Amino acid sequence: MPAPADEALLVRQARRGDLEAYDELVRRHQERIYATIYHMTANHEDANDLAQESFIKAFQALKSFKGGSSFYTWLYRIAVNKTINFLKQRKNRIHMSLNDLDFKAEHDPDLMALISDKTPRREASLAELQEKLNAALLKLSEPHRLVVVLHDVQGQSHEEIAKIMDCNIGTVRSRLFYARQQLQALLSDYLK
Amino acid sequence: MNENENNFESLRRLLVLKRYETPPPGYFNYFSSQVLQRIRAGDSGTSANWMEELFAQAPWLGKWVQVFNVKPVFASTFAGALCLLLFLGIIYADRPDLAAQPVLQAATTTALLTTASLTAAPSLSQSADPMGIVSSTNPVLSLQPVASLFGQQNSLAQPVSLTISGN
Repeated sequence: MPAPADEALLVRQARRGDLEAYDELVRRHQERIYATIYHMTANHEDANDLAQESFIKAFQALKSFKGGSSFYTWLYRIAVNKTINFLKQRKNRIHMSLNDLDFKAEHDPDLMALISDKTPRREASLAELQEKLNAALLKLSEPHRLVVVLHDVQGQSHEEIAKIMDCNIGTVRSRLFYARQQLQALLSDYLK
Repeated sequence: MNENENNFESLRRLLVLKRYETPPPGYFNYFSSQVLQRIRAGDSGTSANWMEELFAQAPWLGKWVQVFNVKPVFASTFAGALCLLLFLGIIYADRPDLAAQPVLQAATTTALLTTASLTAAPSLSQSADPMGIVSSTNPVLSLQPVASLFGQQNSLAQPVSLTISGN
């Protein structure tokens, strides 16, 4: 997370139309924003479009940014709302376009522990696991999927998620619990 | 909550797999420049969301669609009603006698009424006394004497001479 003072200065400069400052802001947040949208849509092309549009919309709306929350949270809200609207329109037309797994995944002991006794062909098994996991995530409702993505995949705190989703922490916890239950049922064949 | 966390430990380890899904190499090298390029080009950032604009311009349409989203039974009822209308339309289109019948009836009635009024007109004119006062208020049938256009004496007009007898 970037230093708030530094970020506030960049935001002020970008609000005055300084594109270099905004370029720096985009570079700071692009990976997390893209990843959140990608994990929600399970489609690289959609994630690319939505992430770009989120940053464009944020730049145009910078004048309305009062600084009540951090720029990071505000930007997340824009991206999340845009993604959820997109997913509502795309309902029943889900098409996965998954990114390749990083080679480091093959060396993750936790993942290996999950698949080691399933098949000796680890690579094939990881790809299969990836597809099943994404398919299961897509079966969750958007708010439940978002909580799992933000907490279990991206490691954000309950408090931060509550700010992004504009709800209270209790709601975040209950959604997370329900979503995990659903996922566990859907992926029971792959969980020990 | 800790117990719950332990219950989902396997799931959490499996979800770690998502972190290894990465976009093509070098993808982020050009991401920000693409964003800035679109900003400079005046892109509104809403190309994929034309429906949002449409709903903003016509809020009733948005509410209509929202009702359909929330309660699919409304959507199916609406679709059923549309299908029924279409079906009835096809039936009526296939049977021109059914569709034309009321029109023919109306045309016949109108024709009869017209004939009656036309036949009534000569009878009135025949019964009118040329020298008498016509009682009809129908301006078409009135036989008011009019001055001749060619200077001829109007047969209905008679010269009157008044003589004042004096002592």
